[in-house]
Amino acid sequence: MTELSELQSMGTALEGESIHPGTNPQKHLPHTLFRSFFQEERFFLILSVFIGIFSGLAVVCFRYAIDWSRIYLLGSETTASPWRLILAPTLAGLVIAVLVIHVFPQSRGSGVNQTKAALYIYNGYIPFRTAVGKFITSSLAIGSGHSLGPEDPSLQIGAALASILGRRLHLSRDRMRLIAPVGAAAGLAAAFNAPISAVLFVIEEVIGRWSAGILGSVVLSAVSSVVVMRAFLGAESLFRVPPISRVRPAELLAFAALGIVGGLAASVFSWGIVRLRPRLKALPKWTQYFQPALAGVAIGIIGALGFPQVMGAGYEFMDQAIHNQFTWEVLGILAGLKIIATIASFVSGTPGGMFAPALFIGAMLGAAVGGVEHQLLPHLIGSEGTYALVGMGVLFAGFLRAPMTSVFMVLELSGNYSVIVPVIVANTFAYVISRWLQPTPIFDVLTQQDGLDLPSMEELREADVLRVEDAMQPVKDPVLDADDPLERAAQQADKAQSDHLLVRVRPAGWSVISKQELRTMVGEGKGELTLRSLLRVPQISYLHPDYSLDAALRQAYRWPLVPVVSRADYQKLEGVITQQDVLDRYRAVSEM
Amino acid sequence: MSVQEVITENNSDRGLRWYSRREPVILLVLSTMAVASFLAVSGLSKAYKRQQQELGQEWFTRAVADQEGGDLRRAVTEFEAAQLYARGNFVYQLKLAQTLAALGRADEAYSYLLNLREQQPDNGTVNLELARILAKKGDIDSAIRYYHDAIYAVWDTDPEKQRRTVRLELVTFLLQQNAKTQAESELIALQASLPPDVALRTRVGNLFLKTQDFERALAEFRTALNLDRRNAAALAGAGRAAFELGRYNVAQRYLESALAANASDADSANLLKTARLVLQLDPSRRHISAAKRSKIVLSAFNTAGERLQTCNLPTMSGAQGLSTTTQEPSLAVRWKAMKPKLTELELRRNPDLAENAMDLVFDIEQQTSAQCGSPQGADLALLLISRLHESNER
Repeated sequence: MTELSELQSMGTALEGESIHPGTNPQKHLPHTLFRSFFQEERFFLILSVFIGIFSGLAVVCFRYAIDWSRIYLLGSETTASPWRLILAPTLAGLVIAVLVIHVFPQSRGSGVNQTKAALYIYNGYIPFRTAVGKFITSSLAIGSGHSLGPEDPSLQIGAALASILGRRLHLSRDRMRLIAPVGAAAGLAAAFNAPISAVLFVIEEVIGRWSAGILGSVVLSAVSSVVVMRAFLGAESLFRVPPISRVRPAELLAFAALGIVGGLAASVFSWGIVRLRPRLKALPKWTQYFQPALAGVAIGIIGALGFPQVMGAGYEFMDQAIHNQFTWEVLGILAGLKIIATIASFVSGTPGGMFAPALFIGAMLGAAVGGVEHQLLPHLIGSEGTYALVGMGVLFAGFLRAPMTSVFMVLELSGNYSVIVPVIVANTFAYVISRWLQPTPIFDVLTQQDGLDLPSMEELREADVLRVEDAMQPVKDPVLDADDPLERAAQQADKAQSDHLLVRVRPAGWSVISKQELRTMVGEGKGELTLRSLLRVPQISYLHPDYSLDAALRQAYRWPLVPVVSRADYQKLEGVITQQDVLDRYRAVSEM
Repeated sequence: MSVQEVITENNSDRGLRWYSRREPVILLVLSTMAVASFLAVSGLSKAYKRQQQELGQEWFTRAVADQEGGDLRRAVTEFEAAQLYARGNFVYQLKLAQTLAALGRADEAYSYLLNLREQQPDNGTVNLELARILAKKGDIDSAIRYYHDAIYAVWDTDPEKQRRTVRLELVTFLLQQNAKTQAESELIALQASLPPDVALRTRVGNLFLKTQDFERALAEFRTALNLDRRNAAALAGAGRAAFELGRYNVAQRYLESALAANASDADSANLLKTARLVLQLDPSRRHISAAKRSKIVLSAFNTAGERLQTCNLPTMSGAQGLSTTTQEPSLAVRWKAMKPKLTELELRRNPDLAENAMDLVFDIEQQTSAQCGSPQGADLALLLISRLHESNER
């Protein structure tokens, strides 16, 4: 029995013992079937559905709370009186500041980062108070007209609910770490009414890696939360999307221009937050009582001056932009003012998210660019509504740096696949320009400003994966054949430089033997026996050149020499690798 | 996988496994919690939706009042507010779209209507509004398509009447686009389903007049007159239709009745005057003496001569009095050449001379009409007589 099979059988034994203590599973077949159905993985999947249901319900209540805040603070009309527009966000700002400073200190900041912190630092722990705080302060802020969105708080409320559920069920540390992102996906999916985008965003920005176990739970929670949300709020998407005509190839240049403008706008937006946030945080603590209120005054004045569209999440105005209901000049002004209003709201410490403002800026900018291009090239440019939709994706790619999510979000919101090429073209430009002008993504900067050290998902995505082929060495020593007599094998081994030699075990296996072992066995008079009959380890593991170096390390520490073979022919040796080769490669990379 | 790894993994899942032995209980508790939360949120949702509905209705009522009061700008804001609380409400969206269209904000209205059409492709009002917007935009083909969709769409109240109204609007639109043949075919389709309504029949008759289908127009006016003998509009229409068909006796009768019913009808009065002149100046009419016929020919010849002088045709100044286009003697030369021969006595003796004289008169009236515009009075009557003769000869 090899070392590996020993370990595997030991693991199975441990598992069996813990599941069926003192019983024989064969004797209790129905019970066994029941047990196997409720294995941990499946139980976690079922739990994900419940997380989705609870998150969906919480997001529905959150949406109601925002609407009620708006109705009672700003009135039921579409545009309130100028005094009300100024007073509502100002007074709400004062209340929010007191709540954030004295009652819910954790509700300040980005929900995405707090969920990441729960995953990487706090073992999935998010206090219940954070969820309550986010719910109250964000609904008050958004309802009173602060330029923030409900998606980020929804994400955090979902994550917090999942965390509470995990704690109550005393889940293991590994599961607890995963449970916060599962809840985050549910919260975001319900807020956006877009499950695919939510799943992608959580994978792309929170977890940073794909695996079947995580994906299953995240998808289940996202879908169940969306189903619950739709049961209460309806299946309509956030925007009424007009029919989108097929985009002509020449028009892609126009979308590239939108990508460039969007990339610049995203950089300005990020730059404003990155520069102003630490400065305001550094001010004396008493000023924090007034910062949200001052932001409220600024936003209220913008509203009173004739641009109330920048207040709140602004979905209805994005919808209007998609339907060409503003001139390009107004759209440009709205995009600029929204950047100012959102920076003011966010850096003042008012709880709320930046997803909706990013979408708003993108929609306005997209429609504005589309409008200008339409005036310059009326026969080339299609509907401005298409540009507004693409613009949303552009800001998402440029500002939030979530390229995959940005593409799928537009597809999910528009329900039209003919925009996929324009979205990819524009997003690529925006992403590249934003990276050039603002090398560190906004979430990473915010993390650093908060004094946390969380992994950068962008860096993780782009990190070079070291593979076996990067560390393996060419075969210099002779390769022995298991069917050769020991005498002949020993003669061949004498020509070898290293102490260990590979043995080809036909039809498709490999083994390893040392020179010393060969000499000893020859000395014992076994020279005429075949090598196969004398091998202590009949089979060892082998690697392929495309395996990760991490996988190679796990094998290389068990065997002195590991064969690297072709995927097409397991008897064809591509090279050999040792533990030292792997370590040398890691060392070389770390010194670069 | 090392022994340590296996042990660690087993330890880490031990808590979960402890619970996995109690899954039925946990699932039951979670399900109960989910149901309870669902019920609680449903209660909250009912209160929320009730409030939203009330607010939507309140703003809608205000908007309709302002729309009816003519304050369309305010109505749009109020419809938008109503929409905010009843997102997806078909009626609110339709009203908003109609108000936007009335305000001239066609693009906004169009996008709302397209959205509504996606929801209800067979809705007559939506298709009609879309047709109107596209008609204003000049997208004729799409407008006609939407008009047809509206005609064959579903209408909630009085579908026959609605379809008729839409078709009449389509005919008017087609006539504006000078698509007379298409308009005529729409009218023929409409004719089959017209109710016994004098005003409607008269309107259709007038539209047939515009498509220059005078026979059908006369038939429609006659149907209208069967329902109301003294209807001034129908009488005037019938008079015009008969006039255009060259049935001047019939036209005279209808027009006299029309003027009797409505003395201020200037168009009918003019037509009647012309019809009477046609009847008076036509030398080929029956039951007149040879002397009277000669006088009519002489009078027509002199009238044409005057018209020739007034019009001053460019060919008249051609070298040697020849027409520049045909190299034939010009009308003036021919008229001057014939003038001395024309006496009452000679005309009575020589019927061919009378015929030649009238041919010259017709040539003069037709050419002067082409060169100098439509004539008036006796010249117009002579021109109409010439056309009548041409059609009779054909």
